[in-house]
Amino acid sequence: MILLALLFCLVLALILIAISHTAWQMNNVCIVLGGTYAAVAGFILMFMPLPVTTFLVASQYFFIDHLGIYEVLISAVIFTLAAVYARGYVDNLLESGELNKGSLKLFYGAWVLLLTVITLAFFADNLALFWILAELTTIISAMLVAILYARENIDAALKYIFIASVSMLFAFVGLIFLFETSRTVLGEGTLNWTVLMQHAPQLPAGMVVASCALIFVGFAAKSGIFPFHTWLPEAHAKAPSAVSAILSGVLLNVGIYGIIRVFAIAHQTPAARALSGILMLLGILTIAIAAFSMLPQKNLKKMVAFSSVENMGILLVGIAVATPLAIFWVIFHIMAHAFTKASLFLSAGILHRQYRSHLSADAPDDIVDVFRFQPLAAWGLIIGGLAITGTPLFPVFLSKLFILIELGAVSLYLVGLVLVLLFIATCALGYFVIINFTRVTPTGQAPEVTPYATPLTMQGPVVLLLVLVLVLGVAFTTGEVSFLNQIVAELRF
Amino acid sequence: MSDAALLQEAIRVLFVVIIITAAYIISTRNLLSLVSAYALQSLTLVLIALSLWMIEGAPVLLAIAGISLITKTLVIPYFIANVQEKIRIKRDIEFHFLNPTTSLLLSMAIILVVYIALSHIMQGTEARESLFFFGAVLGISLMMMGMMVTFSRKRAITKVLGYLTMENGVLLFGLFVTELPFIIEFLIIIDLIILVILTTILTIGLDSTLEDYHKRLHRFHLVEETEEGP
Repeated sequence: MILLALLFCLVLALILIAISHTAWQMNNVCIVLGGTYAAVAGFILMFMPLPVTTFLVASQYFFIDHLGIYEVLISAVIFTLAAVYARGYVDNLLESGELNKGSLKLFYGAWVLLLTVITLAFFADNLALFWILAELTTIISAMLVAILYARENIDAALKYIFIASVSMLFAFVGLIFLFETSRTVLGEGTLNWTVLMQHAPQLPAGMVVASCALIFVGFAAKSGIFPFHTWLPEAHAKAPSAVSAILSGVLLNVGIYGIIRVFAIAHQTPAARALSGILMLLGILTIAIAAFSMLPQKNLKKMVAFSSVENMGILLVGIAVATPLAIFWVIFHIMAHAFTKASLFLSAGILHRQYRSHLSADAPDDIVDVFRFQPLAAWGLIIGGLAITGTPLFPVFLSKLFILIELGAVSLYLVGLVLVLLFIATCALGYFVIINFTRVTPTGQAPEVTPYATPLTMQGPVVLLLVLVLVLGVAFTTGEVSFLNQIVAELRF
Repeated sequence: MSDAALLQEAIRVLFVVIIITAAYIISTRNLLSLVSAYALQSLTLVLIALSLWMIEGAPVLLAIAGISLITKTLVIPYFIANVQEKIRIKRDIEFHFLNPTTSLLLSMAIILVVYIALSHIMQGTEARESLFFFGAVLGISLMMMGMMVTFSRKRAITKVLGYLTMENGVLLFGLFVTELPFIIEFLIIIDLIILVILTTILTIGLDSTLEDYHKRLHRFHLVEETEEGP
């Protein structure tokens, strides 16, 4: 039922986009579709007993458990807000000639397609099916990156496709290994996550290490983990900002989600130790690379993109620790990071509209008089920056703190190391903000830039996301705790 | 059964053909023959799938052979050849990091390493002696070679062929795991087609229409300040 409803919504949205004439009509379709998915996800979460396994045509392939619905809810909310934001943003892209009017249908078509594919990916029970859907998200999102039709966008999109797809092929080989392993144990091969979870303790450790390591290669590339992170800053910085918010807030989660699911299987076998080591090493290297890349960064969107890399590293470290509490906070951090990062990219997008360099997306941002021209975006970036670096009262603070505390049980030296790296990243972000936001035109001189009148539809999502982030950090209800606990229990950590 | 033995011999011969095509893809500079080498490689895969079907009788193999024949030996090569004509690039003579000779030596090393590693992993199991083992070794080696092409060539269109070679490696590997549900293989092919179409379209934008780009950039007032443009 739900699968059919989703597909029906998708087809309807695509038809509506095909027949609509103005950018706003298409945009409305995207907003409504995002809202619908969010409402459906909310409804399932509130009123249906989870996990739902019987609702689909081929129930072996899809199911809904707590983790899935949680991720879908996050994605749908971000997609809706980004769609609202895109209304003003796309108008400006059209005005400045960066986006071809003919590409509009492609843009919004890819948008609704991406939302649906991601939703289906989070509902996939079969790991191979999840792989294919994840691979499709790469292709569709690369299309959204390349939509601006500037040479560097195409370059970034191609880099993204090649790195992600090549790595994902390794993941597929890993899945074939896993399939063979399950066949030797169960008699009949399966890639069904629920079945694999039930029989996980019987799987032989050696084969599990080999297959999971290969699978991690693919999903690590999807979520921008070192050494496959090189596509991420390029793609995130050059995509239209509404798309950057989705790439960072939603698409990176797809990779981490895959890693969590597969690691949940491996965690029940003796292979967990070896795999934890790999994940821990990669996680810390990722944080380190991100922190040191942030230091000399002069481009705002790249800075924010590297901050995403850093947070993916933190998530990986949390997964590697693998205690129930650590996984609890990893799940929470996924949400905290997604909302905070989306708000940051939306604010950065407003500044990008105001101060973008006409030469290249790589050029340093020339930000002056920011509080005069774009006070909201400036405050959005400052508050969002405080939130993402883990200032108390914000949700990222909680998750970072508890992941670090859990890491302390493994090794205090590692905690120290990660703290130093986080400190470097924070300094880099703070330095960037202080340098750029305090730059003013001397009195008497006329400012060179013409103020960009930010439409309300671009300001609204930023404010909403920041309020959401603040609420998440301050109010921690028992319902939320029990829900997250259920996710951890389902993952059997 | 002498028939099965004969077929197994045939598969071994086809393995050799695959290695030769892979070596050719790695070393050639001529784009057109690159595409034909890819088509030949895919055809070899189809023949392997058919031989396996005759040995094992699993209908999935026949379906895979059919769908590969249509997409990989006909549609995709035709599409890429078409694009090459459009962008008027005949040769890709630029290599990053590796020149063809080094690549060839490296791929020999890769096959050796994969062989040793896999025979370690599968030590003692019955799979070690079967065709599955060779299929796995060659499949993974082919993937590695494809990856080498993807990262050592400069033109996007050659990179696409490298990716396709990688995918052939995965398919070769997957062929010997016959129980893999057909729907999965089918969806992968779909994924492949979309990827090829998208990347080649982007490639047209990247490799050929430089004048168009200049026009566009001028319209956006993007190249007024810079001399060299993109």
